[in-house]
Amino acid sequence: MIFDSSVVTAIFGQFAPLAPMIVLIIGALILPAVFFSTKRREAVTAVSMAVIAVSLLFNILMMVDGYQGEYAGLFSYDAFAGIMILLFQVVIFLAALVSVSSSETTRMHYGAYNSLLLAASVGMMFVATASDLITIFLGVELASIMSYVLVAMKRSDPRAAEAAVKYVIIGGLSTALTLYGLSMLYGVAGTTNIADIAASLSTQEFSWAFGIAMITMIAGYGFKVAAVPFHMWAPDVYEGAATPVSMFLGTGSKKVGFVALFKVFLVIFVAANATASFATEEIQYVFAVIAAITMTVGNVVAISQNNIKRMLAYSSIAQAGYILIVMAVMTEYALASGMFHMFTHVFMKGGAFLVVGALITVGIGEKISDYRGLAKRAPLIALAMAVFLFALAGIPPLAGFTSKVFLFSSAIYDNGVMTQWIWLAFIAILNSAISLYYYMRVVKAMFIDRGETSERIKIPRTFAAAVAICFVFVCVLGVFPQLIMDFCADAASVLFG
Amino acid sequence: MFVEYTWLIPLVPMLCFVIVGFFGKKMPEGGGHVAIFGALFAFAVSVLVAYEFFTSAAYSAPGYVTAQIAWFSIGDFGINVGYYIDSLSCLMMLFASFISTLIFVYSIGYMHGEGVKKRRYYAEVSLFLTGMLGLAVSSNFLEMFVFWEVMGLCSYLLIGFWSFTHPSGDDAADNAASAAKKAFLVTRLGDVCLMGGLFILLYAFGSLDYLTVFDTAAMAAVDPNMVLLASLLIFGGVIGKSAQFPLLDWLPDAMAGPTTVSALIHAATMVKAGVYLVARCFPLFTQNPELMLFVGIIGGITAFFAATMALNNMNIKKVLAYSTLSQLGYMFLALGAGGYMMALGIQSGDTHLIAAGAVGYTAGCLHMANHAFFKALLFLGSGSVIHSAGTEDMREMGGLHKKMKITSVTMLIGSLSIAGFPLFSGFWSKELVLETAMHAGSYGVEGYLFTAMWVLAVVTAFMTAFYMFRMWFMTFKGKPGHGTEHCHGESPKSMTVPLIILSVFAAAVGCMILFGFDEYITTGINAAGQFQVGSGHGHGMTGWLEDIFMSAYTYLTVALVLIAIGIAYLMYSRKSVDPGKINRNGNSLIYRALSNRWWFPQLYNQIGWKLGYGVAKGVEFVDRQVIDGTVNALSSAVVGSGESLSKTQTGNVRDYAAVVMAGIVALFILTVVLFYLMGGA
Repeated sequence: MIFDSSVVTAIFGQFAPLAPMIVLIIGALILPAVFFSTKRREAVTAVSMAVIAVSLLFNILMMVDGYQGEYAGLFSYDAFAGIMILLFQVVIFLAALVSVSSSETTRMHYGAYNSLLLAASVGMMFVATASDLITIFLGVELASIMSYVLVAMKRSDPRAAEAAVKYVIIGGLSTALTLYGLSMLYGVAGTTNIADIAASLSTQEFSWAFGIAMITMIAGYGFKVAAVPFHMWAPDVYEGAATPVSMFLGTGSKKVGFVALFKVFLVIFVAANATASFATEEIQYVFAVIAAITMTVGNVVAISQNNIKRMLAYSSIAQAGYILIVMAVMTEYALASGMFHMFTHVFMKGGAFLVVGALITVGIGEKISDYRGLAKRAPLIALAMAVFLFALAGIPPLAGFTSKVFLFSSAIYDNGVMTQWIWLAFIAILNSAISLYYYMRVVKAMFIDRGETSERIKIPRTFAAAVAICFVFVCVLGVFPQLIMDFCADAASVLFG
Repeated sequence: MFVEYTWLIPLVPMLCFVIVGFFGKKMPEGGGHVAIFGALFAFAVSVLVAYEFFTSAAYSAPGYVTAQIAWFSIGDFGINVGYYIDSLSCLMMLFASFISTLIFVYSIGYMHGEGVKKRRYYAEVSLFLTGMLGLAVSSNFLEMFVFWEVMGLCSYLLIGFWSFTHPSGDDAADNAASAAKKAFLVTRLGDVCLMGGLFILLYAFGSLDYLTVFDTAAMAAVDPNMVLLASLLIFGGVIGKSAQFPLLDWLPDAMAGPTTVSALIHAATMVKAGVYLVARCFPLFTQNPELMLFVGIIGGITAFFAATMALNNMNIKKVLAYSTLSQLGYMFLALGAGGYMMALGIQSGDTHLIAAGAVGYTAGCLHMANHAFFKALLFLGSGSVIHSAGTEDMREMGGLHKKMKITSVTMLIGSLSIAGFPLFSGFWSKELVLETAMHAGSYGVEGYLFTAMWVLAVVTAFMTAFYMFRMWFMTFKGKPGHGTEHCHGESPKSMTVPLIILSVFAAAVGCMILFGFDEYITTGINAAGQFQVGSGHGHGMTGWLEDIFMSAYTYLTVALVLIAIGIAYLMYSRKSVDPGKINRNGNSLIYRALSNRWWFPQLYNQIGWKLGYGVAKGVEFVDRQVIDGTVNALSSAVVGSGESLSKTQTGNVRDYAAVVMAGIVALFILTVVLFYLMGGA
C-alpha cells in the first residue's frame, strides 16, 4: 500500500515523529509572506487550511498505521500522541476556518494572526508528543505565549486589552509555579525524562520535596485547565477575546493542561504506585476535591451569567471538573473516557462558541436576551445551538451523554469492583442536572421568547460549514462512540504501559 | 418471522419524523398523513409481532424473546442495542401505537387552522411516538433511558408549541413557555435519579441488559443494599416522569400545549412510561417489601391529593389533568400493593402470597391500558368541545349536549368508565386495585399502611365520580353559557370518528382483556425460578367475577360512585343544591387550598427559584467578593513584597493572583490534612 506511515518516514527521515508539527511550522513561517504579497484574507486562510490538511493527513496515516517513533529522547510519537494531535488539529482547523469571515479578527495583521494560531497548536502538539519535562514545559509555554498575543489582537475592544493583560500576568505566575515544581521534581528524581522519573520514584518513599513539586505543578497546570481556584482569568479572557480565539482557548488550550497532567502525573504515579512504599491515594483525593469544587463552582456560577460567552466560560470550567475525575480515579478506563470526553467537548463547546461567533459577525449581541426569537430568524443555526447545549447538558443520544456515561461510570465501577470515587460520580451527575438550567435559558430565549424582529439572518459560509462539522460529530459520536473510543482506549493503554 | 422485524416499530415513526421535518412544508396538512402512516405502520407491525409472540410456542414457553447487537463497548463492559419482547411490551406497544394513530387522525381536524406550524407539530409527535415505542421494546436500561429522554425533550417542545402565538393571547403564550420549561426541568430531576440508578445497576450487575439484571441467580449474588438503592433511584425517575407526589406539579401546567398533545402525554405516552418501568422492574423491586410499600404509599397519596385538586377546578383540561395524576396514583398503588405481597411471598416462600401479589400486577397493567383508552377519549372529547366553544372555562359552557351529540355521548361513556360505573372498563380495574390494596393490608408488619391507602383510594373513587360528572354536567347540561352561543355545532368527521372508536374501547376493553387475556398480564415465578411476565395463573372469567362480586367492598364503592354522580347531578344539572353555599362562594379555607393546589407551586418556587437562584448568586458573590476581599487582606501578607508592584496593576488582577496563591496554600493544607488522616508519609 502506498499510503501508510512509510510515506512519512521517507519524507521526514529521523524527524518523522514530529512530521505533523513540522508541516505546521513551515506553514506558520510562510503565512505572513502570503498575506503581505496578496493582501487577501481568503488567500491566507486557503494556505493555512491546506497546511493543516497536510498535517492532518500525515497524522492520520501515522495513527491508523500504529506508527511509533521517538526523536532525541525528547519527543516520542505513539497512540496517545496521535489521538491528542488529532484533537488539536481539529480545533485549529475549526478556528482557522471561521477566522476569515469573523468580524472580530484582526484585518491588519491577519497573516501574523494565522501563523500565531498555527504556532500555538504546534506548542500543544509538542506537549502531546513530549517524553521529557523540558519539552512539556516548552510546548506549554509556546502555546501560552501565542495565546496571549491572540487575545490581545482584538484591538477594537478595550475588554480584549484588559483580558490580555490579566491573562499574561496570571499566566506568568502559573509558569513560575510550574517551573518551580519541575525543578523540585528534578531535584527529587535526578532526571527530566518522564519514564526515568517514574523508575526513580518507585525506588524511594514519598518526600515533602516531591509534595511541594506536586502542589505547585497542580497549580500551574490547573491554570491551563481553569480548575478552581485557578480559574478566575477564564471568564474575562473568553469574554474579551475574539470568539474564534475563545473557542481555540476553551477547547484546545484547556486540553493542553490535561495532556500535561496526564503525562506528568498519570505516568509517574501509575509506575510509582507499583511499589508499596509510594502510595498515591492522598494525591488522588486532592484531585477529587479539586474536581468536585471545580464542577460545582463552574455550574453554579454559570446560572447567574447573562453574557453568553461568560456562561460558556463557566460551563467550560465545569467540564474541566468532569475531566479531572480521570486524575482522581486513575484507571485506564477512566483515562480513555476522559480523552473521549475531551473530544466530544471540542465539538459541543466548540460548536457553541462558533455559533456565538457567527452571530456576533452578523451583528447580534453577546447577551442571552439578544438571542430572543432566534429560531425564527435563523432556524438551522438555532437548532444547531440547541443541539450543542443539550449535548453539553448530557441529553441522550448526543455525544455529551455518551461521554458522560463513560466518564461517570469510570468513577463508579472498575473491573467489577466499586471504586471509592462513587461520591464524585454523584456530585458530577447532580451537577449535570444543574447545568441543564442555564443551557435551557438560552434554548428558551431562542425557541420560545419572541424577538423584536423576525428578519432572516444570513450566516457566513465558513461559519456554517464549521458549525455543520461540529453538528455532525455531536450526533454521530453520540451513537457511534466507537469511532473515536477505540483510539482513546489504545492511547490509554499506551500511557499506562 | 415477524418478531425479527420488531426494530421497525420505533424506526418507521422515526423516519416519518425526519421526512415530515424536512419536507412537511410542501405536503398537504403539513405532513400529517405521513405521521398517521408511521403510527399505523407501527401498530400493524405491533399486531403482527404480538400475534406471533402469543401463538408461537417457542416464545411463550420462556415468556420473552430478545435479540441484541453490540452498540459500543469499553473496557470490560459492553452496551447492546436490541429488542426485548414479552407480554408487557406487547401490551404497551399495542395501545401506544393504536391510540397514537387515532390521535394523529383527530389532529388533522383539530390542528387544521395552524398553518405552517403543522409541520413542526407532526414531526414532533412522530418523534414522541418513537420515544414511547422504543422504550417499550428496548432490551436494556441504557437504550430505555435514551428513549425516555427523547420523550422528555419532545414533551418540552410540544407543550411549548403555542409559545409564540397562543390562540388565547399573549399571557397564555407565556404560560406555555414556562409550563414547557417546568415540565422539562422537573422530569429531569427525576431523570438524574434514574441515571444514578442505572450506574448502580451497572456497578452491581456489570451489565444493563434486562436479561442479566432480572436473572434470579444474578440478583441473589448481588449486594441487597445495591438492589435497594438502585430500585429507589429508579423509582425516583418514575416519580418525575409520571408526576407522582411530590413532583406532581408540572403535569397540570403542561395543559398549555394543544389538547391533542395532552391526550398523547396523558393517555398513550410519557406518563405511562413510569408505570411501564415499575412493571418492568418488578423482579428488581420485589426484592424489598419496604420499597414496594413506598411505591404504594406514593401512589395512594398522589391519587388522593390530585383528586381533591380536581374538585373545584373550572378549566376542563385541568380537571382531566388532575384525574390523570389521580389514576396514575391508582396504578402505583396496585403495583405497590401487589409487589409488597409478592416480596413477602418470596421472602417466606409462600406461593399463595405470590399469586395474590400477581393480582396487583394485573390490576396495575389493566388500569394502565384502560386509562389509556378512556383518558384519550376524554381529552379528545374536551378538545372537540374547546375547538367549537372557543373556551376552556366550564362556566362558559353548558347545554352543549344539544349542539354536539356525538361528543357529548362519547364523553359520557368515558366519564362512566373512569368513574368506575359497573361493567364499564374502569370498573374492573379499579375494583381490582382496591381489592389488592385491601388484601395487602393484612400482611406484614407495615401492612396497616395499605389499609390506610385503601381508605384514601375509596374516598378518591368517590371524588373521581363526583368531579367527572361535575365536568360532564357543567359542560353538556344546564344553562347555555357564553361559549355555547359561540359554538357552531359538531366537530368534523376526522375528529368524531376517533371519538366513537375510542368510546367503544373505553367501554369494553377492560373486560375484554381481563376475561380473555388475563394470563398474559400477570406475573410470577416460573418453573426455572425466574421472574416471568405471564407465568402466573389467569383466574378466568368466572374467577374474576367471583373475586369482584363476592366482596362486600365492591358494593360499597359502587354505592359511593352512584351517590357521587347523584350529588353532581343535583348540584350542576338540576341546580337544586348550590355549591356556592358549601364553599362560602369560594372563600372557605379548603376551597382556597384546593384552587392553589395545596400551595405546592408556591413551595416549589420557594425551593427552586429562591433557593437555587439565591445559591447561585451567593456563590458568585462569594467567588467574586468575599474570597477576593478576604484574599485582599491575606494577599498583603502572602505577596507582601509585591505590594508596591500591585499598585500599578488593576485591583482585579492582583486579586486573581492572590486567589491563586491562596489556592496553593489551601492545597498544601489539604494535602497535609489528607496525609495526616490517611496515615501516609
